[in-house]
Amino acid sequence: MSDKKSLLKNPRVIIFIVLLLGSIVAIHPGYTPGNGTTSHLNFGLDLEGGSWLQIKLEGALAQVDVDSGKLVSGIVEPIIGAPIEITKNNLDVGGSAEKSVTFTTSATVSASQLEYLGTVSVDKLSGSTTQVTISDISKESLVQAYLSKALDAEVVLVPMSNQDGTVYEIRTAVTEQQLESLLEKVGGSIHKDEDGTSTYKEGVSTDTRDLTKEILSDKLNSLGIKDIPVRTVGDEYILIDFAGIDLATAKEIAEKPGKFEIRIQTTGNETEHVLYGDSIVSVGVPSFHDEQWHTPFTLDDDGARTLQKVALDTGAIDNPDAHYLKMYLDGVEIYGAPLSSSAAEKLRDGPIYSWEASTGTDEAAKTEATALQVHLRAGALPVNVKLVGSGHVDAGLGSQFKTAALIIGLISLLGVAAVVYFNYRRPEILIPMVGTSASEVIMILGVAALIGWQLDLASIAGVIASIGTGIDHLVIITDEVLAEGKLPSTRVFKSRITKAFTIILGAASTNIIALSPLVVMGFGTLKGFAITTIIGVLIGVIIARPVYGIVIKELLHVDENGTASITE
Amino acid sequence: MATGLAEILDSFVKSHSDRQLLALPLAILAVSLAILLVSFVSSGSPVKLGMDFQGGTQISLETTDSPAVLEKMYSSYPLTDVRQTGSRVIMQFGIMDDEQQHQLEKDVASHKYSNLQIQQVGPIYGKTLQLQALQALCISFIGMAIVVFLLFRTFIPSFAVILSAFSDIMIAAAFMRVAGIELSLGTLAALLMLIGYSVDSDILLTNRVIKRRGTVEEKVSKAMHTGITMTTTTLAALVSMYVVSTFSYLVIPSFTQITLLSQISIVLIAGLFADMMNTWLLNTGILRWYAMKPEFRGRYNR
Repeated sequence: MSDKKSLLKNPRVIIFIVLLLGSIVAIHPGYTPGNGTTSHLNFGLDLEGGSWLQIKLEGALAQVDVDSGKLVSGIVEPIIGAPIEITKNNLDVGGSAEKSVTFTTSATVSASQLEYLGTVSVDKLSGSTTQVTISDISKESLVQAYLSKALDAEVVLVPMSNQDGTVYEIRTAVTEQQLESLLEKVGGSIHKDEDGTSTYKEGVSTDTRDLTKEILSDKLNSLGIKDIPVRTVGDEYILIDFAGIDLATAKEIAEKPGKFEIRIQTTGNETEHVLYGDSIVSVGVPSFHDEQWHTPFTLDDDGARTLQKVALDTGAIDNPDAHYLKMYLDGVEIYGAPLSSSAAEKLRDGPIYSWEASTGTDEAAKTEATALQVHLRAGALPVNVKLVGSGHVDAGLGSQFKTAALIIGLISLLGVAAVVYFNYRRPEILIPMVGTSASEVIMILGVAALIGWQLDLASIAGVIASIGTGIDHLVIITDEVLAEGKLPSTRVFKSRITKAFTIILGAASTNIIALSPLVVMGFGTLKGFAITTIIGVLIGVIIARPVYGIVIKELLHVDENGTASITE
Repeated sequence: MATGLAEILDSFVKSHSDRQLLALPLAILAVSLAILLVSFVSSGSPVKLGMDFQGGTQISLETTDSPAVLEKMYSSYPLTDVRQTGSRVIMQFGIMDDEQQHQLEKDVASHKYSNLQIQQVGPIYGKTLQLQALQALCISFIGMAIVVFLLFRTFIPSFAVILSAFSDIMIAAAFMRVAGIELSLGTLAALLMLIGYSVDSDILLTNRVIKRRGTVEEKVSKAMHTGITMTTTTLAALVSMYVVSTFSYLVIPSFTQITLLSQISIVLIAGLFADMMNTWLLNTGILRWYAMKPEFRGRYNR
């Protein structure tokens, strides 16, 4: 009995027991009749049911080398269709002085042609010479304006504290060759680092990625159906999980941040533009009143006035039913209804800012109102996105996978126990060994519950894999300790445990090193596998396996004194 | 049973010279490399790339319709393969544009199949993954090699461990090629896992032989008993995982194969069999020759 007590006084054993109990509390297993088993474990979509989308953010980051004079000629000459001569240029001068560039040309120039570059003033010098000054500019703003126009995409300057020079973020897909040839036209090139590597990099900045994530998250979660987690994977990818939604619907919800437009019917099927989504200031939550579902929204001043003017011009006020207001998303009609008579009356006197779109009385109308709510928000994303992967597991299949995973876990443990028993034929080895292995699994799950890690099928494979390595290490300890078939003295025992741990630590570090690329790289599903396996190895080596060594010593010691017979 | 296996292997190792021990594993490694090379030359990739790396769509569902009926039903899409296991059918489609993809998903949703699973990978992402997979394998292998060198700090024993791990991976990859198992995210994970897993017994062997007292023969034989026990217990876990994830539908027809787990386990099983051979013939052969070298004057054999 004294042996058992000393076991409980060992700090390693105490820590082990506390952590094991802590894990069980963290997992919080429970059973409620009707609901079945419950726990605090988070399961991934492949076990819970739902759809996921993986989106790539298209864009490129690069630094640019360009001569300001050539840049101005390169940009301006094709536009005005004649050569220019630069007479004044202080773009390369440092300091905060007012930057401008002045050139003369024989062609006629209108200020509006060049306005996107900066403030333009055009003076007729003599009969055939025109002098143009563009001010409020910088070299960066010119590059930005040039690339933006050439690629028809937003180009922004990225503040990079750790780098010299300016990094341009091009928010559309552009290859290095495309960018290089565009820059060549204005006598520039992509900047190369001192060691000759190009500064071109596919992807977007972390800030842009996060902004996109925010907008998506905001747009998706404004639906209020369910929490839709939006995660980033590396700098280029965004992963969206839709619990309990089929794939076609998930795509419909996510893929259409598009262009929203309201048009009005003029004559017959003809329609006229009224306003775009940017005139919509806010969108409310659909509500049911006056026997109908409504989606409320607010227009800005311009939008409200335009709508009033159009309603007056087209005659919609006098005959609403012949002049439907139609809403389009990416050119597809998503909603159409006439002005209500009360609204038509009000519009005679002035603009209306707060509107409601009614959709009808039934369940379908409710769905339509909800969809309209999202479409009206139509939060355009800052970058082009492309769907690169998707998946769906329905809830029934997910719970089947969960059951199967549990069966696999138990059968694996049984299989392992059988082999261990065949090899040692001693219950006092079998029980601690299987017990250690099982508690390692509980602790992995405890950690998962604690950090809110989503367990998916790949993570389950990781758990089973760590049962495998775990048992390997316990076998090493056992064989080391029982080298002569019986338990050695305490001093020898200690040195043997140390020897066993040299081997185990070596093996564990190769395991961790081999899987670490998966943690760092952007493989969605495999990250879970690698992380659970690594957590498993760490828990095993640091917490559980040393305790196994202590326990097996005590148990065998008791056994040796008690029965004094060792079957070998 | 493991004890029996260890004894057979032990007497085999004792009764054969170092050179003889190396013959079989090196021959199998050569055959494996040849298989991978031929595959690389003929198809541009040493192993068959799965959907994860090439792009495409896989739909798995429960239905009473026969594969032939489904083939007809989805003939307007680039359907490449239809397979049936139990009451489930798995359909594999090639790469589609967004619109067709969406149409297919709507089509499938309209049938209200139960236990539906859809996986789709775009070709661009697949390409990115191919590169990353190669990088991951290289980094992982180099990382392992560095750890092994740090552990033993002598060239030949470390080299023997690394060679045997390399051979494990090559044999497992060649097995995948021959058995028609595609490289998926799951099998990639298995190969990476194998890099870490397979050196366990090699580290045990090398540690015992070059860091302990005793005759080389005795140390090898003891390490072998422990090592075989280790590998067989691991195999027990993996075989359980393979059998349940692959064949449970034979017992419960509505159960589906869990492809991810099935693939991870079969590749690991193949790799561990290769590892048993490589550890106890290849690695042991090299290590025994090294430890018995006359210039060490019995340093490792006393």
